[in-house]
Amino acid sequence: MSAALAGAVLCSLTLEAAGLAHRYGRRRGLDPLSFRVASPGVVALTGPNGSGKSTLLRIVAGLLRPTTGSLSVAFGGESVPAAARRLRVGFASPELAFYDELSAEENLTFAAEARGLPDPGAAAGAALERVGLAARARDLVPELSSGMQQRLRLAFAVLGAPPLLLLDEPGSHLDEEGCATVARVVDEQAEAGLVILATNDERETKLGTQRIELRRRGLGDPA
Amino acid sequence: MIARGLLFVWIAVWMVLGFVWAPVVPVLGDTTRVLYFHIPAAWVTVLALAWSMIQSVLYLAKRRMEHDDHAAAAAELGILFCIVATISGSLWAKAMWGSYWNWDPRETSIFFLLLIYAAYLALRSAVDGEERRARLSAIYSAAAFVAVPFLMFIVPRIYDSLHPSPILPSPREKGSMDPRIRTVFLAMLVGFTALFWWLLSLRTRFARVERRRLDAAAAGA
Amino acid sequence: MARSASSSAAAVWAILRKECRSEWRTRYGLNAALLFAITSLAGVSFAVGPLGDRTDILSGMLWVVLLFAALASLSHAFVREIEGHTLTLLRLVATPTAIGLGKLLFNLIFLAVIEAVTVPLFLLLMGGPPPKWGRFALVLILGSVALAAACTLVSAIIAQTRGRGALFAGASLPLLLPVLAAAVKGTRAQWQGGTVGAEASILIAYAAAVFGVSLLLYDHLWED
Repeated sequence: MSAALAGAVLCSLTLEAAGLAHRYGRRRGLDPLSFRVASPGVVALTGPNGSGKSTLLRIVAGLLRPTTGSLSVAFGGESVPAAARRLRVGFASPELAFYDELSAEENLTFAAEARGLPDPGAAAGAALERVGLAARARDLVPELSSGMQQRLRLAFAVLGAPPLLLLDEPGSHLDEEGCATVARVVDEQAEAGLVILATNDERETKLGTQRIELRRRGLGDPA
Repeated sequence: MIARGLLFVWIAVWMVLGFVWAPVVPVLGDTTRVLYFHIPAAWVTVLALAWSMIQSVLYLAKRRMEHDDHAAAAAELGILFCIVATISGSLWAKAMWGSYWNWDPRETSIFFLLLIYAAYLALRSAVDGEERRARLSAIYSAAAFVAVPFLMFIVPRIYDSLHPSPILPSPREKGSMDPRIRTVFLAMLVGFTALFWWLLSLRTRFARVERRRLDAAAAGA
Repeated sequence: MARSASSSAAAVWAILRKECRSEWRTRYGLNAALLFAITSLAGVSFAVGPLGDRTDILSGMLWVVLLFAALASLSHAFVREIEGHTLTLLRLVATPTAIGLGKLLFNLIFLAVIEAVTVPLFLLLMGGPPPKWGRFALVLILGSVALAAACTLVSAIIAQTRGRGALFAGASLPLLLPVLAAAVKGTRAQWQGGTVGAEASILIAYAAAVFGVSLLLYDHLWED
């Protein structure tokens, strides 16, 4: 698996945020935050509920336009704007949902095709293998348990071996084996790429080599 | 303060002059007077829509809430002037040609503008979230912008040939008429435009102050 | 990037196939739309009766029925994404423009299927004279393309509002009136022996204008 990863993940990654903040209407979503992280490695993103971990991950993924501040993400030295970034990162979060009328495999194959990956079917199969879902590939999404759907999210994130992996509470709903899978995937990614892992789980926090801690009020500092 | 007073005096004076000083257009009779507020109202309707659409595009480009304030305020005022123009036009039609609504090109155009305004405002009322509301209504406005030339110029011609309308004097003939009529008309045009700008500035100022108040309240909380 | 053009095409194609497959497996959208189209046609036919030679009313009624069919069916594509919460997934694998194009193509196919059932039924029930097939088809196709282009864009906007379905008809109508006017006139013209060149040009121009502006606007549709 590392070989497959190394093939795709050859560029270095840097993320630099300056005064990045987001408001939902008048509610605070993310307090002003500045940081600088680079690959390889694992960044643990911690903080109490409501401190903005999910918000930050969505901003990094390019899904959410922040109300203030700037974020620059450079793949191999070249800055990638939000619109293009969305298609190049691996993203998994609790609200990521799949098409109920399609099977796990069909969902991933669709995603691989749309992203323009060279061999969509194989890419989907490889991703399912990595997370241990190969046996349930043909099952429709509603037939999967919540733990398996979580693995499917992880499979979607690692599809095509992206250089940047954004995982929001990847261990939720997962049993021991599932958590071990997450740890394995994170370790593999950390060899050449970058993982940002938002979590409150002690075990997952320990996977991180760098840390961004969000506090409910005030600024977060890279530790 | 003074400007506001002057504006009211201006409109009032010219309205009165329109009745006592300017003569009537022979073919229109006493209904000539409607020229002085029906056409300016229609003009402001179009002006307001254009302004709203331009501000919508500016919002999408610059993402500053002031543009959205203008777009929304212009639409709210525009629909008011549109209703005035539609009703006054309809009453005029009844007086001139015996029926309230004929689907002739002008009536059709103003009705379409009314539809666009209504749809835009209905859309705004259905979206939660300030930023999202601004963005989605701006997108709709930009899309409607494409339809406007078709609705204003092409469609009424089509309807015209589908429903042949009676031979009617063009309401635009005022240009070749008595200079006194032209004077009052232009003065009212200026007056209505000034009225629109004044109301617009009031409305946008209010929106800005309201937003600052809410921001301060949220920051303090 | 050379990659982006071809991967956009790949994305559009992937989305179109996904839509068709999803629709085929669930079919509730198609069923509801067909039912509505046929019901409104039946209602119109019942209310108006056979029209014989009244080609002016016939052309108007045809496009009213098609308008109803479009309004009932074309918001489905985006509403389904919102209700299934799959928009995040979609946004992560395709650009907004590709999403818009994919949905538009799907809506075109969807509308074509509905019209394949509704139009012959209309001609049968309303008892009009046989149409000049070439011109009739031209106006029908161009009108449908214009309808679909406008409705897809509006439905993408409306799907994100409260009470999604209710607003769709009202918000689409101003953008659909030019299509209605030109298409009705064109359909009437072909029945009355005239040419449809002018109306066809209007329909093409309008469809192109709406399509062109959509390409610019889709990028702004989803930002949260």
